[in-house]
Amino acid sequence: MECKEYKIEFTLNGKPVSIATNPLRRLIDVLRDDFGCLGVKEGCSEGECGACSILMNGRVVTPCLIPVGAANGQDIMTIEGIKETEKGSIIVQAFADGGAVQCGFCIPGMVIAAYYLLSRNPNPTEDEIRLGISGNICRCTGYDLIVESIKLAAKRGGEIWKR
Amino acid sequence: MEEMMCYIPKTLEEALEIKSRHDVIVLAGGSDLMVSNKRTLGLAPKFDKPVMIVRNLPELRGIYINEEGECCIGAGCTSAQIAESTLCPWHLRQAASRMGAVALRNSATIAGNIANASPKGDTPGPLYMLDARVKLSSVSGSREILVSDFIVKFRTIDLRPDEMITEVIVPLSEDDFDYVFWHKVGTRKANAISKITLSQAIKFNADGTVKDYRVAATATGAKTNRSRDVESIIIGKRLSPELIEDVIKGFDDVISPRAMPEFRREATRRMIRRFLNVADTHPEGKVIDTYDGYYVVGQPEPRVL
Ligand SMILES: Cc1cc2nc3c(=O)[nH]c(=O)nc-3n(C[C@H](O)[C@H](O)[C@H](O)COP(=O)(O)OP(=O)(O)OC[C@H]3O[C@@H](n4cnc5c(N)ncnc54)[C@H](O)[C@@H]3O)c2cc1C
Ligand code: FES
Ligand code: FES
Repeated sequence: MECKEYKIEFTLNGKPVSIATNPLRRLIDVLRDDFGCLGVKEGCSEGECGACSILMNGRVVTPCLIPVGAANGQDIMTIEGIKETEKGSIIVQAFADGGAVQCGFCIPGMVIAAYYLLSRNPNPTEDEIRLGISGNICRCTGYDLIVESIKLAAKRGGEIWKR
Repeated sequence: MEEMMCYIPKTLEEALEIKSRHDVIVLAGGSDLMVSNKRTLGLAPKFDKPVMIVRNLPELRGIYINEEGECCIGAGCTSAQIAESTLCPWHLRQAASRMGAVALRNSATIAGNIANASPKGDTPGPLYMLDARVKLSSVSGSREILVSDFIVKFRTIDLRPDEMITEVIVPLSEDDFDYVFWHKVGTRKANAISKITLSQAIKFNADGTVKDYRVAATATGAKTNRSRDVESIIIGKRLSPELIEDVIKGFDDVISPRAMPEFRREATRRMIRRFLNVADTHPEGKVIDTYDGYYVVGQPEPRVL
């Protein structure tokens, strides 16, 4: 039996949006298929790879595990919104300059994880950086250049991360 | 086509009202349910009963200390919230801080971890050991029972259809003990379902005899393991190598690991032996933990992001 449709409203990248849909649809599908947020990547579909990471009320979560009904009334930021922010653009630029990107599939999730980390801990140690991205799997880079790029973003952002 | 309802209550009162009238599946963080009910890419997960989404109920998100000095944790508190809260007992913060990885900890709730009734769940170990209770609420009132009674057996809980877990109450903390131990054995540091977690705590009397000792293990049988009979072997006595071996033997008889049993048994034996041996030397510090094969003694400070 399929589930009835309901009107779900939330804030997406700063703008209020609404959709009438089955509230049990996965948030990842709604973000990609209904709102065109194709930077929300689907890797494992079960919370293990971090490729789909987004911010919900400022906390990093994996929308492959969240029914869209649980987003009702909440504040959602995807990579599409994060990269336009001052902090987000510092990370994106640091990833590009630091050679952090190979195929790119894991990168939106990595940027979100780095954003969450640096917003909470502006001066992380290497261990803390590795812990911060430990839920994000990368099949290409071996992580080292991603870690270096996050250090670069921390340095370039300086005081901005403390705001 | 017949359609199923889905409920998204805005208040706890509304949620309990729905629970009293409908047979629904409660969905909190979704980290167990969305995986176990998932279908192929792009399709909504399918549930055999209507779902009630309680993820954002504000009444379930608080942590406070009650008049009896017990730590009361809202059912919807996430692992991240618990790991970050200095009000929560150390063992529980340790377990919460090592569940899944960063994003998982922002979804996984304590009630979900308990209600899932999986022997591999990480929080029941500390909760069993610290005599924690769950508060079960319905429109007609509430009751409290020990987490270790609430989890009846593998995947089975003592919850009436009209009830929900609303709070987890932990009466004890690391302050009630002289030395504490918590260790998770997993295949990697992040997103690893535990091979074993072991929680221990000990308190001595002024004369050096043991006042209180507790040990609980997860992922070593169909249910989280704790045995008061085994713990009582050393209570009121001075530790000796023979008594420590009796505890180890006793606990070995309690656990019943199925996969990799000898590995799990040997790891458990060693962790108990080392904790009791180190505690018996009365070192400075509170936390006895194992790191790269060495035993270290330090102060309670769980790692949080
Ligand atoms: C990638 C990944 C890694 C994981 N790693 C770990 C780990 O390291 N350690 C670990 O222990 N677990 C782990 N898990 C399992 C899972 O995240 C936890 O069990 C989590 O605590 C479940 O909570 P939830 O709120 O997400 O549960 P949900 O999926 O929402 O619910 C789980 C069960 O609890 C019931 N329930 C939830 N809230 C209530 C309530 N208030 N009253 C009554 N019933 C309720 C639901 O009906 C359901 O039966 C992992 C899962 C994933 C996907
Ligand atoms: S697709 Fe969501 S965590 Fe892998
Ligand atoms: S760059 Fe290819 S998966 Fe990370």
